[in-house]
Amino acid sequence: MAGEEFFLGEKRFKQCCEDFVKHSQQIGDGWEWRTSKDLGDGYLSKTHFQVRNRHIPPDLKEKNNDNTEQMLFAHVEEPSDDSQAAGACSTEEVVRYEYHVLYSSSYQVPVLYFRACFLDGRPLTLDEIWGSVHASYQARLQEGPWDTITQQEHPILGQPFFVLHPCRTTEFISAVLGGSQQHHRNTNYITLWLSTVGPVVGLNLPLSYARLAPEQSTAVADRALS
Amino acid sequence: MAEPGERPPPAAPHGGGRSDGAEEAQEGGAPAGPAEPGPPPAGSPGSEEPAGDARKKIDVLLKAVGDTPIMRTKKWAVERTRTIQGLVEFIKKFLKLMASEQLFIYVNQSFAPSPDQEVGTLYECFGSDGKLVLHYCKTQAWG
Repeated sequence: MAGEEFFLGEKRFKQCCEDFVKHSQQIGDGWEWRTSKDLGDGYLSKTHFQVRNRHIPPDLKEKNNDNTEQMLFAHVEEPSDDSQAAGACSTEEVVRYEYHVLYSSSYQVPVLYFRACFLDGRPLTLDEIWGSVHASYQARLQEGPWDTITQQEHPILGQPFFVLHPCRTTEFISAVLGGSQQHHRNTNYITLWLSTVGPVVGLNLPLSYARLAPEQSTAVADRALS
Repeated sequence: MAEPGERPPPAAPHGGGRSDGAEEAQEGGAPAGPAEPGPPPAGSPGSEEPAGDARKKIDVLLKAVGDTPIMRTKKWAVERTRTIQGLVEFIKKFLKLMASEQLFIYVNQSFAPSPDQEVGTLYECFGSDGKLVLHYCKTQAWG
């Protein structure tokens, strides 16, 4: 049904988050629901650590440590082609990512906020964040980085977070859910949405979330949707 | 499906636009390739499989959702180690989409496997009747 849009009400957002967290607890995936006692709002939260490889071009090895660190920031967003350069070495770096899922009543969609810092506490810059977007999304990112990921104040915590822009969420959700009412009911909106946008910013959901909806064999789904 | 640098496509591909190694499965439902037993249906007991099985292809049925163009050929035999990202690039090439246009793939029409997920694993988890049904959607996901 072209043009039919599927919006997420806040009540359903909370229900989907609750189901999502239950499954996360079953598989030890680390998501939790946090509430803000002042505002009464809640959001999903998860922290995890990622190891990133940094490639250091050989001519920088002779410079002192401070300069090397400066140059590392400048090079981190480039593709790893320079690993082939003679004498290039790479160092591993651990980055702590914190992901939050909040509800936007103006867009009627969930929104993904996140922040990232190195183990010494230094936050990643916007350039570094853009540079670490998964390779399969780089072409789209480079067409419009400013409408992909920018920095905004977290609506509940009031601290600067990166946010993945939510303006097209309803569009892709509606396209995937299609016109089947039963499919709407049986699909966890958060699972569908987060599995789509999470990988853009380093967040991958384990496959077992795919079974979050009530069991539905592919054969049944085929017949229902053909 | 071949990516840059991989082995050349099989001889005599059918039609244009598919010279990158994907095999077209017959629409009747029989898997393409030599007559050997097809992959076991999902859920069958984990029997001992020879190492060569890892190279067997799985049948994938691609279905369009939303306003996405429909592929003329929907059934493909895909290597188990092909990733979602590889499959996305293949479909985009087949549909002649630009690099910056986005395409997403879903299992159970409700979950997007991550780009590095292998289709072989997806087949084991979500395949039935000897095939893996995947829905694909051309859409923007942010902005």
